[in-house]
Parts: sequence; C-alpha cells; structure tokens
Amino acid sequence: MIPPAIVDLLQTGVSVNVGTRDKNFMPECTRGWGIWVAANRTTVTLLLTEPASARTLANLRDNGLMAITCSRPTDHVTCQLKGSVTQIRQATPQDYERQQQWRHAFLGELIAVGVPAEQTDALIMQPAVAIEMQVTGVFAQTPGPGAGEQV
Amino acid sequence: MGTAALALKDLWPCFEGIIPATIATCAKDGTPNISYVSQVHYVDPEHVAISFQFFNKTRKNIAEHPFASVMVLDPRAMQAYRLSLTYERSESSGPLFQAMSLQLQAIASHAGMSDVFRLRAADIYAVRHIERVDGFTSWPVPAQDERPPSLFIDPNLHALRVVAEQLNRAECLGELLETALRCLDEFFGLHHTMLLLVDEKRRTLQTIASHGYDENGVGSEVGFGEGLIGMVAAAKLPLRLSGLDHTLRYARAVRDRAQALSGPEALCREIPLPGLSNASTQIAVPLIIRHRCLGVLVAESLEPLTLLIREEAVMAIVAGHLAAGIEQSAQEADDSVAVEAPAAAAPPVHSPLSHRSFCFYQADDCIFVDGEYLIKNVPGRILWRILKQHQDEHRVEFTNRELRMDSWLGLPELKDNFETRLILLRKRLEQKCPDVRLVPRGRGRFALETSVKIILSEKPA
Repeated sequence: MIPPAIVDLLQTGVSVNVGTRDKNFMPECTRGWGIWVAANRTTVTLLLTEPASARTLANLRDNGLMAITCSRPTDHVTCQLKGSVTQIRQATPQDYERQQQWRHAFLGELIAVGVPAEQTDALIMQPAVAIEMQVTGVFAQTPGPGAGEQV
Repeated sequence: MGTAALALKDLWPCFEGIIPATIATCAKDGTPNISYVSQVHYVDPEHVAISFQFFNKTRKNIAEHPFASVMVLDPRAMQAYRLSLTYERSESSGPLFQAMSLQLQAIASHAGMSDVFRLRAADIYAVRHIERVDGFTSWPVPAQDERPPSLFIDPNLHALRVVAEQLNRAECLGELLETALRCLDEFFGLHHTMLLLVDEKRRTLQTIASHGYDENGVGSEVGFGEGLIGMVAAAKLPLRLSGLDHTLRYARAVRDRAQALSGPEALCREIPLPGLSNASTQIAVPLIIRHRCLGVLVAESLEPLTLLIREEAVMAIVAGHLAAGIEQSAQEADDSVAVEAPAAAAPPVHSPLSHRSFCFYQADDCIFVDGEYLIKNVPGRILWRILKQHQDEHRVEFTNRELRMDSWLGLPELKDNFETRLILLRKRLEQKCPDVRLVPRGRGRFALETSVKIILSEKPA
C-alpha cells in the first residue's frame, strides 16, 4: 500500500516522469500529465500523450514494467513508484476531470519556480492515454543521501 | 519525431541546469528506474557528463547495463529533448571534474549542505541519438541563435582564456616570457616567435626570448627605428608585413649597422638576431603600458597568408599581458622568497672541459669566454661581479637585492630591469658555456653552479 505521506505528496501538483524499457532492456523516459492514487492505495492512474510517449506506450504494451518518479518543483520532495501496468485505455471524461485538478496544482508549482504562465499553458496534455499500474514498490527519492530507500 | 539533424550543441540552453533532467535506466533483471539529475553537462559534440554524487539505483543499473535515456528541457520554451546514451567512463580528476565539483560545492554551500554533497565522479556518456519530443508543447521551437551560444565559445576565445590563465600563473619573469612564446605556438600555431625588450638608456631593443629557431639569439640588438622591429618600437603600433623581398623581412639592419660601426672587432660582439632567412610574413606588435613601449613581440612564418589579422590580434593581447607582467616584475619588492626551484630547471651539466676562461674588457664592459663573445654592458658587469666574488670569496648564492645596490653595476635607480638582465645573462650562459649556470633559488635569489674551474682575466681600457 502506498503510505499516506506519499498519497498526500501526489496530490500537490508533482511533476510526473516515467521510465520503461523495451524487450532488449533499452530504457526510455517520458513525461506524464497527471497522476492520482486509487482508493485502495495499491494502484495509480497516470496520463500520457501518444505523440510524446510512443515508445513508452509500446514498451508498456510489451512488458508492462514501469517506474514513475514524482517531484514537487517548489521543494524537490520526490518519490518513485514501481510496478506493473494492469490497464492501458483511452482517457475518459472522468480522467480529464482528475487531470484538470492535477494540472491546476502543477502549473501553480511551475509558475512558483519561475516558469512563465504562457509557457506552462502551452504544454500539450490531451488527448491522453490512461495507464493503471499496480504499485509494487515505493521509494524515497528526495535528493540527498537517503534517496533510493524503500518507504 | 522531430529528429532532423539535431546536434548536441543545438541543445545548449538545456545544459544550463535551469530545469532538472531525468534519467531512465534498466536493472539487469529488467526493472526500469527513473530519477532526476541536477545537470547534464556538455562535454563535446558526442558526449555529455552527468554528476555522480550518491551510490544510487541509477549508478547500480549503469554498472550492470550501460544504457540510459535522458530527457532535457529547453527553458526558453519548455521544449523537451530525449537523448539515448551509453556510459563510457568516469572521471574523478581533471578540468571537467573540477568544474562540475566546484559547481556542486557552491550549490551545496548555498543550501548549507557542504558535507553532504560531494561529487564522486563525472560520468561520461556517449550520445547515440538525439530526438526532439514532438507533441510536448504548442510553444514554437526557439530559432537557433545567430550568435554562437555562450556555452560553445569561439575556440580562439577559449584558447586566449587558457593562455591568459597560464601567463598569470607564471612565478617569475623568465617563466612568463617562456610561457608566452610556447603558448603562441601551442594554441595559435605561431611556430617562430621572439621577444625584444627596450633598453631606454641605450635606445635599443634586445632579444630576451625566442622560440622555434636554431639559435636563440638572446642578447641580439636592434636600434630604435631600425627595421620592422625598431620601427614598431618607435611608432608604438603593430605592423604586419607579407610577401616582401626577403632582405626587408626582418631586421638584418643589425648586421649592417655592426659592420658600419667599426669593422670585424665590433661585428664579433654582435649576436645575430634570430630569424628565418626565408620568412615570407612577419608581424611585430609593441608591448605597451601607460603609453610606454617596453618591447616588441615578433612572429614569422615561411608560409604566405598565415600571419593575418587574427594572429595580430592574438599577439596584441598576449603582448598586453607581457607588458603588465614585465612592469610588475620591475616594481616588485626585492624581498627574496624561497620557493621550490622551477621544475623546468635543467640538471647540472657535466662538462667535458676542465676549465673556462673569462676575460673582461673594461673599455666596453664586455666579457668573452674562451675567446668567444659572451655578453656586455650591465649584464656583463653583473656576471663579472658574480664571478669575482665566487673566485675571491668562494660565494655561491647571490640576491638580486645586493646586486641592485651595487653602484659599480651602473643600474638606474628606478625601473632597473634587473630581472630581465639576469634572464639575458642566464640564457647567454646556457648557450655559450652551459657548464656555468645561474640557477634560481626562489624569488630574488640565485646560485652560481659550475662543474669547471673558472679562470678570470681583465683587459684594461
């Protein structure tokens, strides 16, 4: 289960970074546009866009293994979630509603660290593909000596 | 994907550390990992460096499987780029490591974390592929700057910076002069150079250092206004001559003047100016400080069209550094400071000879060694004083201070250029009798070292 502190962190407009690998173990990184934790606290949903994440989506369809690092831009509090994908589907209106909440908080964080609002507005977050992942590991990732420890 | 011919240098704003980058790796069991890196450093057109601070999962994965995918963002437009990397090596010393380490320490110090953040290594990765991430932002891709981006400065400017740093590190005047000529060769391809300093009292220029000639020519002289060099000193302006008849190419006026003076006796006391007999281009720039000309820096080339305005500009900048260094050494206090002898000091010479005969001509303060002209004027007197004290009092060590205060040497009270005269003397000895040497013993001190018996004689005026 994802600890409550991490659930809280994920509700504060964190940046979402996704790592996958192909069948030859070649890694691939991309950005996600929104993340939220299911009520059971064992799965998360995140949104990706097809053009920016084509290889990531191909990797997920191939082997389903995923690492997600989320960081709050204003204080670098960071965690990494690892797990296996259980579902890949087109985003629904409900997903977009959740994305909107996350987007509002995330853009607020970016503006707070000095990114011009017109640039944050230009980030393309839709149309999106929704990924559901069963979380098997949660790691502290805030920069410093404790980074990498399992939570 | 927008991958059309992207070069690493096109991504220069991404390497300023404004938006943190992410790195994805894969463990040997196939588990992916993604983490932040504070900064991706540009190394060269095919390599980047990533700081290694902590033993973390990324580091472990790279050791097992040396491939990474890195996402960097251009802060001007939040445009993302993906780099496919292969780990090559780690550097834990050298200029790149030092620069990255200092940057990290400065950040850590700001955050009060100096003890926690420490760069263990600069990890160097080869860049296999660069891709602009399409569909990331609707903001237009920034146009390539017409100006060279600040990260990738003009190589000449970078070379000038390195040269300036090396010049400022020189511990003494001799080292400064040698460094300047060596750097002009090494960084700017000026293979044949010489430096002449002004003797204001005698209105002449004397060669104090040269580089790339068979004969170093140290001690050779040119009068003010004579030939290219003398004219540059008199006019205090640089001059560049190309494709001239070779008789004009450098100041062979020296020899003519010597012959005009008083025949063979005078001639044998002239040292030929170093020079390429078939030089096709020559540049001479004055060493100017506060409107005074301290000397002239000269470069020559056999090839036409190789010494142009770029070379003149480089030489003018180096000449400025030299002028400042020479001026400073003339004003420096005499306090002798013991420092380690320069590494460049040659080992003692074991001469096949058993003795050296020095003869001092009182008429013109001229010294001959074993019948050959060695040196004259003030440097001649300095040498004679040293040799006499060595013989009469068995002295070995001398200080600049005591010699400067010796009225017999006839040094001017102000700006005596003692250091340059000593360099001249040292180099003439190296050339004419290497078994008698003046070895620096720190700033303002030196020792007379010899492996032969020294015999002295004088010829009255």
